[in-house]
Amino acid sequence: MLSRARALALLSAAPLVASCGGRDTVKVGSKNFTEELILGELYAQALEHAGVAVTRKLNLGTTDIAMAALRRGEIDLYPEYTGTALLNVLKLPPDGDAARVYRTVKSAYDKRFGLIWLAPAPMNDTQALATTQAVAGHEAIGRLSDLAPKAGELRLGAVPEFLTRADGLPGLQKRYGGFRFRQVKIVDNGLKYQALEHGDVDVILAFTTEGDLKANNLVVLEDDQHVFPPDQVAPVVREPVLNARPSIAPALNALAPLLTNDVMQNLNLQVDGPQKREPADVARDFLKQNNLG
Amino acid sequence: MIYLATHLDRVGALIGQHVFLVGVSLAVALLIALPLGVVAARNPRAAAVVLGVTGALYTIPSLALLALLVAALGLGQLTAIVALVVYAQMILVRGIVAGLQGVDPALVDSARGLGLTARQTLLRVEFPVALPVVLGGVRVAAVSLVALATVAAWIHAGGLGELLFEGISTDNPQKIFAGALAAAVLAVAADLSLRAAERAVRT
Amino acid sequence: MRYPNAAVAAVHDVDLTIAAGEFAVLLGPSGCGKSTLLRTINRLVEPTAGTVLIDGADVRERDATELRRGIGYVIQAVGLFPHYTVADNVAVVPRLLGWDDARVQRRVDELLGLIRLDPARYRDRKPRELSGGEAQRVGVARALAAQPRVLLMDEPFAAVDAIVRASLQDEIARVHRELGTTIVFVTHDVDEALRLADRVVVMNAGRVVQAAPPEEILEHPADDFVRDLVGVDAETRRLALERPLVERS
Repeated sequence: MLSRARALALLSAAPLVASCGGRDTVKVGSKNFTEELILGELYAQALEHAGVAVTRKLNLGTTDIAMAALRRGEIDLYPEYTGTALLNVLKLPPDGDAARVYRTVKSAYDKRFGLIWLAPAPMNDTQALATTQAVAGHEAIGRLSDLAPKAGELRLGAVPEFLTRADGLPGLQKRYGGFRFRQVKIVDNGLKYQALEHGDVDVILAFTTEGDLKANNLVVLEDDQHVFPPDQVAPVVREPVLNARPSIAPALNALAPLLTNDVMQNLNLQVDGPQKREPADVARDFLKQNNLG
Repeated sequence: MIYLATHLDRVGALIGQHVFLVGVSLAVALLIALPLGVVAARNPRAAAVVLGVTGALYTIPSLALLALLVAALGLGQLTAIVALVVYAQMILVRGIVAGLQGVDPALVDSARGLGLTARQTLLRVEFPVALPVVLGGVRVAAVSLVALATVAAWIHAGGLGELLFEGISTDNPQKIFAGALAAAVLAVAADLSLRAAERAVRT
Repeated sequence: MRYPNAAVAAVHDVDLTIAAGEFAVLLGPSGCGKSTLLRTINRLVEPTAGTVLIDGADVRERDATELRRGIGYVIQAVGLFPHYTVADNVAVVPRLLGWDDARVQRRVDELLGLIRLDPARYRDRKPRELSGGEAQRVGVARALAAQPRVLLMDEPFAAVDAIVRASLQDEIARVHRELGTTIVFVTHDVDEALRLADRVVVMNAGRVVQAAPPEEILEHPADDFVRDLVGVDAETRRLALERPLVERS
């Protein structure tokens, strides 16, 4: 644990050196939330296991920053979600069919950016509304259809984008009717479970692979009208790098099928939950168990 | 506390990066703001343009600005410094303009009447007299930059933001505490030392 | 010095010669153009037409800053540099002229003596540690530091109280006698003008109405404006002139 932390410190102490010396290494990026950090480490360590030298540029602030870095070649690959790519990057309309979404973004990224989507993981880290057992029991809700008419009595905690995105609250209101919450509180993604636990909100916007869902024994409400688009994760790689390094695609494609919702919840929980493990350690153990690291 | 105690070397390295980012940004920002401020203080039309543009830049959300800058300059410290320099401009230019405009016109009149050139008047009379107000702007800018520099973590440029955002995204109060405490100590140190400098130059 | 046809809005049709060593006072109500006229001499104001000559040479043919270093300048607000000591303020022009340190120090002490501020006590004070009267004396010392042949004073004593003003007037009259510097002095205070001037130059609406010694102004005002200006107290004022200026003890 300590030695890992020291390695991290050294790496961050010399970012300029790292990027200059990175000519011959594959630069692995990630966004800055738990799942991306774990996926970034999984990709990096799986590549290292396959004999590819890697430079990590994890923790990038937003999709825009990660995409800008990828297109400039500042990073060579990072984990991206098909739904995010469809809606936020390509600005295409929402689509409920997971396989079709993957095909759409794969072909659009190739044509438009020269970026290749490798095999998607089976996990579907889509949005979901979640609540406590107590609220679910008291209000007798299990599906979004149950929640829609009762929203007026409840408070929602969500990130601001949810209030405006077509696959967010406006989409719910359109498809289900209702969904006029008594109050909507803007809550950072990292703080929403605390907010729910402290009773500051009654319902939160969650993501289906978050470990806290399992740890807190929360009720994930079923999206019975299919408003929330599928969001599968896959490595997006710069085409020239992929061609120059034939070992990249098999290494990452071997990892993809292992990442189910259940597995991802467990990995996320080790970092976000009471153990507070480092993403790098969680990734290493997982790869070892699966003979990939 | 536990994280801070067991990871002093990492926190120390991040503090070093943070101070580097803030220090370099502040120095570069001052080099740009000084001529801009002088021009703006002398010419109302230039003032409208300079204050308008720096004010507009200040209102660009940092994430949007960073995404634009990453597209142009890539990841890393250089990009972070450019962003911080952009944000510091408004505060610094305003301080310089306020300081220079606050100089008693009689001082400038007597300086010119005694035979100081425009440049000598600026360097020997106007700047020294404006210095406490200018330093006040530098102090506000420095404290703001300590806070703003946390976003450097978003673009792989290091600093205490790494700890803060890691802590927030992984629900780790130990890291948040360590990052926030270190940033607060830096901000207070910057504030106190520049306050002392302000007092020292006040006539 | 001449200002023929100075067609600035503030000042026009001025034709005036001031003799070397003369104490000339420009007198008039505020806005009459007297300060503007004064400031054309050291080129802080450039006339749109006409010329200013010093010793027969057009001031515009000289570099403005170099010209100013040879002309003393004192203003109402004093304008001492607040971050300089008294000594450094007095030394501004000598240092601009490149005098060596020993000469500058000698000159500073000499001038502080001239304006009757004990060098040992005042040399290292900051302007904020001076009274209004003391500050203005230092302003005079600073203006005289490089031995200018001409001293311009723009309402120098208007901001101090009557008692201090009287003593400053005594002081400048004495300095004028001792040094023989040509002084051009602007005021709107009739008594001050009559008291100090070799010649009073009365101005109104940008023109010179009358330029004459104080007695003549009082006895033969050129027109109603001058008569009104010196006012009903003309006789008292004339009598006052016969009193010699009293030096402070």
